[in-house]
Amino acid sequence: MSDTAAAHEAPTSTGIDHKKLIMWLFLASDCMFFGTLISTHLLYRKLYPAGFTDAEGHQRFIQNLFNIELTSFSTFILLMSSFLMALAVSAMHKGQLKSFRRNVLGVIFFGLIFLGCQVFEFTHFYHQGLTIQNSVLGSTFYVLTGTHGTHVAIGVLWLILLYFYSFTGKLGGHMGALDVEVAGLYWHFVDIVWIIIFTAVYLVEYLGPNGIWGSGLPAVAK
Amino acid sequence: MIMVGCSKADLTVRQSTLDPKGPVAQTQFDVFMATVWLVVVLFVLVGGLLVFAVIKFRSRPGDENKPAIVEEGHGNPLIEIGLITASIGALVIIAIPTLSAIWYTDEVPAEAIPTSKLSAWYPRVEGTRENYAKAVEEQVLEVDAIGKQWWFRFEYPQLGLTNDAKHSVPNEFVIPKGKAVRINLRSEDVIHSFWVPKLAGKVDLMPGRKNHLWLQADQTGHYYGQCAEFCGDSHAYMLFRVTVVEPAEFAKWVQAQKADAAPVPAANIKAEKGKALFAAKSCVMCHNVGGHFGAGAFAPDLTHVASRKTLAGAWLDNRNKDAQRALELKTGNTEASVEVDPATLKANLIKWIGSSGVAKDAAGKPTKDVKPGNRMHYYKMFNVAGLNETNQKFTDEELDCLAEYLLTLK
Amino acid sequence: MSHDSHHAPVACKTELAPERSDLGLIRPDRATGWTDWLTTVDHKKIGILYGAFAMFFFLVGGVEALAIRTQLARPDNDFITARMYNQLFTMHGTTMIFLGVMPLSAAFFNFLIPLQIGARDVAFPRLNAFSLWTFVFGAFVLNASWFFEFAHLAGWFNSFEWHKALVYTDFAPANGWFSYAPLSGTFGQNGQALRFTGVGTDFWIIGIQILGVASLAASFNFICTIINMRAKGMSMMRLPVFTWMTLVTAVLIILAFPAITVALIELMFDRAFGANFFNPSSGGQPVLWQHLFWIFGHPEVYILVLPAMGIVSEVLPTFTGKSLFGYPIIVFSGAVIGFLGFAVWSHHMFTTGLGPVPTAAFSLLTMAIAVPTGVKIFNWLGTIWGGRIRFTPPMVLALGFIWMFMCGGFSGVMHSSAPADSQQQDSYFVIAHFHYVLLGGVLLGLMAGLYFWFPKIFGRMPNATIAYVASGMVILGFNLAFGPMHYLGLAGMPRRTHTYHAGNGWETWNYVATIGAFILGIGVFIAFANLVWTAFRGKKCGNDPWDGRTLEWSLPSPVPEYNFAQSPVIAARDAFFEHKHGAKRIGVENDGGEAGVHMPSQSWMPLLASFGFLLVGFGMPMMAMGIPHAGWIVIAGIGVLFLGIWLWALEGPGGYMLKTPVNQGSPAPAETAAR
Repeated sequence: MSDTAAAHEAPTSTGIDHKKLIMWLFLASDCMFFGTLISTHLLYRKLYPAGFTDAEGHQRFIQNLFNIELTSFSTFILLMSSFLMALAVSAMHKGQLKSFRRNVLGVIFFGLIFLGCQVFEFTHFYHQGLTIQNSVLGSTFYVLTGTHGTHVAIGVLWLILLYFYSFTGKLGGHMGALDVEVAGLYWHFVDIVWIIIFTAVYLVEYLGPNGIWGSGLPAVAK
Repeated sequence: MIMVGCSKADLTVRQSTLDPKGPVAQTQFDVFMATVWLVVVLFVLVGGLLVFAVIKFRSRPGDENKPAIVEEGHGNPLIEIGLITASIGALVIIAIPTLSAIWYTDEVPAEAIPTSKLSAWYPRVEGTRENYAKAVEEQVLEVDAIGKQWWFRFEYPQLGLTNDAKHSVPNEFVIPKGKAVRINLRSEDVIHSFWVPKLAGKVDLMPGRKNHLWLQADQTGHYYGQCAEFCGDSHAYMLFRVTVVEPAEFAKWVQAQKADAAPVPAANIKAEKGKALFAAKSCVMCHNVGGHFGAGAFAPDLTHVASRKTLAGAWLDNRNKDAQRALELKTGNTEASVEVDPATLKANLIKWIGSSGVAKDAAGKPTKDVKPGNRMHYYKMFNVAGLNETNQKFTDEELDCLAEYLLTLK
Repeated sequence: MSHDSHHAPVACKTELAPERSDLGLIRPDRATGWTDWLTTVDHKKIGILYGAFAMFFFLVGGVEALAIRTQLARPDNDFITARMYNQLFTMHGTTMIFLGVMPLSAAFFNFLIPLQIGARDVAFPRLNAFSLWTFVFGAFVLNASWFFEFAHLAGWFNSFEWHKALVYTDFAPANGWFSYAPLSGTFGQNGQALRFTGVGTDFWIIGIQILGVASLAASFNFICTIINMRAKGMSMMRLPVFTWMTLVTAVLIILAFPAITVALIELMFDRAFGANFFNPSSGGQPVLWQHLFWIFGHPEVYILVLPAMGIVSEVLPTFTGKSLFGYPIIVFSGAVIGFLGFAVWSHHMFTTGLGPVPTAAFSLLTMAIAVPTGVKIFNWLGTIWGGRIRFTPPMVLALGFIWMFMCGGFSGVMHSSAPADSQQQDSYFVIAHFHYVLLGGVLLGLMAGLYFWFPKIFGRMPNATIAYVASGMVILGFNLAFGPMHYLGLAGMPRRTHTYHAGNGWETWNYVATIGAFILGIGVFIAFANLVWTAFRGKKCGNDPWDGRTLEWSLPSPVPEYNFAQSPVIAARDAFFEHKHGAKRIGVENDGGEAGVHMPSQSWMPLLASFGFLLVGFGMPMMAMGIPHAGWIVIAGIGVLFLGIWLWALEGPGGYMLKTPVNQGSPAPAETAAR
């Protein structure tokens, strides 16, 4: 799983492994990527505080769709998966392969729970009348959270690959720990991005009676 | 640098930005000239230094025997800081007029309002259809410019010349001389841009956004404008004209625009036939002809089509080309304009309708559209019920009759 | 992990025993000919491939430009149709930027960066191959739209049901290189997703998206390489300026490309799934597209310019025999240009009605960016000052670069002023400005680089007389073509108009511009032909024909595949020049020789993974055309992409040891002391 020309050679100029450095660079780029998506959502959210109109022609406010308990739960799960990921990386550094497998399995499981919650949420919102087509809000919401979900899914796939790879005996030593650490960096980043999305998309809707965007609509009962 | 060698006539061509005819264009021109002079000075200094250095420090025979220059160059902090400061200073010279011009050109300035507000010059006739609301008396004249693929529609909401009232003005609009006019820019499809170089720099017409600009023309005449943002197939054919007239004449023009078209003279059999064709061939679905047909609101209003100097998004000129050229040469002024030439107008009408209604000619080859992609040809795109037939066919005789009918719409 | 330890070092890779990867497949390490080029991970070969493709697409873009100029030579001309014209200028801009200048810069990055920093390869050799092939396939996808367009015009599709159902029949993109929504997007409510343009736009969207992947992957790789793989003693402030500018460019790419990636994703969702990002009838704001595009688009301008600036900063010291004046401030101003490049995007949008405050702010920031640019020009002047200028083709081209870039910079200052810009925006004045910067500037800079490093790349010297004639034609033709456009813009001629009436006063200068364009085109063709001929038949030259200053000139020409027989140890900024003429010698590390140096294994997997992009790139526009079962091509493409990455991950890095002749790596001072 390594692609470095000089993997076994003299240390790099900075002392940071190539793989770790390139992952940081990728994350810097990904920051701009999510930054752009989140900005798009916030700009439109501010522009159109009135939410969306569902299929029956009712004005709906996004706060009425959110199930903040469920989303808080899935956020918590994702945070905990980060904790397990840290344990997995640490286990790998100590060469404890069994502990690594146990923790990584936990991360995969928690990641799948998060994805499950998102699938449930999407289906629920869709049935409530929010679609990608019927409003700008729907477009920005689904594309932003969906893109994040895709990142989580790729992370889960990557960890599953690492998990099975650990049985081949090739995932060991310094390079093996590095491979896991790089995957961990990615996983933590995806978590942090979710914290920002959770704040910018969900929580701000609960500041004040109608969210900080100040909808002129009366809160519709669920 | 490039302008050297151009005669004065080259600087006053129809859409020249170097020949401002109003305060907004003048301000923009002045800022431009400030940048030009700054750049000329810098060009002479830096360019001269570069040429001098290249000549002076060229290698000479015998250089190869001298020892190499090995010391590492670190630059000279004093020179560097001095040059940076000088550059910033030079930029401040253009930054100041830039800032003042940005605010000046944004909104009608307070000093222009007393003489430009409607009550100051536009006659208000109480109790007639032509009056305008008291509420707008203190405002300057507003013109709505609405961009569509590929023509402009102009409306005067304060004076009742709107599309809703079946009195809109396509492609050519009229403004009073010496008065500030606010142009509201709207688009009904893609992004267009409103640009009359001699009167004001461009501002875009953005769908879903309310842009505006203001301008004022200090000389009467016929001004040339063009869409300046790429807007699809026939972008190059999206032109418009501004006619600047004396304020008194402007009021008359507004009255004339509100009048219905005169009935077709009974003696004109061809025109009568053309009128029937106009209804039968679905033209009425989109085009309004005040007093004759009132259903159309989508396409250019044809009530006064024969009085306009242009056709088809101002691409086809209805004036006699040679007469116009002679007049421009005689007066040395591209704003001078001859009147509409009925023969040219008729030829244009036939060319325009003939090409747009027929996708294929008699030999089965695609015709060369006057405006490729125009909606007379491709109205299928709009899924208008009953209008899905794209191949409207006209015989030469039918075209002649239609043109004769349209020629009566003065 | 280290399979190489099992094998004895070889003198030449064809002596290798066949080796199986972790997957059990035989690695293509011993390959020669076509297989070698397709599987290579050698940065030099990848650089040459980048250069060859870039030069090819330069000529394609040039032919498109000449068709445009032919159409505009006379008023009311009907040489080509309006739609064809619109497609030509769209593809001309897109081709020149994404398939011409960027890959030609990438060719220099690839070939030179490891040589300049004393490394044997880039940090991720297989990723580098992946970047190359992804770029190539992205370019194929973009240009495939032409084949569909011509097939449509020839009537080949007429009998197909899907073709009869198409409302819009433009197959090549026709929105301009910045594809403003909603012209490129949709209108209509509730997911109707009615369009203004046909599948040409879909080709453009997916093509640019694929090219973006290639650029991003390459940039991650190069930042990593420059930061992490410098030879001993090569501190950041001893990096050659070209390497520095590459670093700044790569940072710009990784921070700017995400904006366009997101914008393209949003536009794709609008068109394919009826989303409302830029759909004005459903509340979408087309101006958002412009912001996202130019947040990418303005840094992109510096992505194009900075490598050329780096090249000129290498050429000038060499031929003045003097070190670069103000190295730290040139490096610093390059970084400042990159930084400020992110803060001026709205000057492309002065006419969109931003309001006076943002307009003023972006106006001032745009003026500010002239300062670091001016600093560069002053320091180049300082480099010339007091030197001994040797006139050679690269030097003449570099001086031409400074002159043209200066002119382009001056017209840039003119439209940094928003009120003046409102008359110039979208007129031929702007066309003149950015062609002075990007053609007079960047192309001359890149040509200077080609003629400068060509002897290093192929060990052969291009014919100087032909080079002078070609350069003269390029400079003359260029000024004849684009000088008059300043006037045309000020005379009110808008850009992107396929024709104009006689009587507007634009006839004469348009005619002159067309003549200039043909002279320019012939000049570029001769310059390129000279290089291609030289590559195969040119006169052989020594390792250091110009009395070079940086590490690459210390190597044999052409450069051996291991680059440095022994890793160099650097003691000065112009390391090789100091080595030859000064007191500070280049040392060597105790590696190479009989023990060999580690070489990365070649691989099919990057090509395979990239091929997935080709399938996706063809499949998605075909889906938009309504061709039955085209969706399977997309699914197959995604499958191939993942399969390629999967196999790539599992095949293991491999590698082998190559013996190097130790006394050849570092030149003896006596060899090169004579100038």
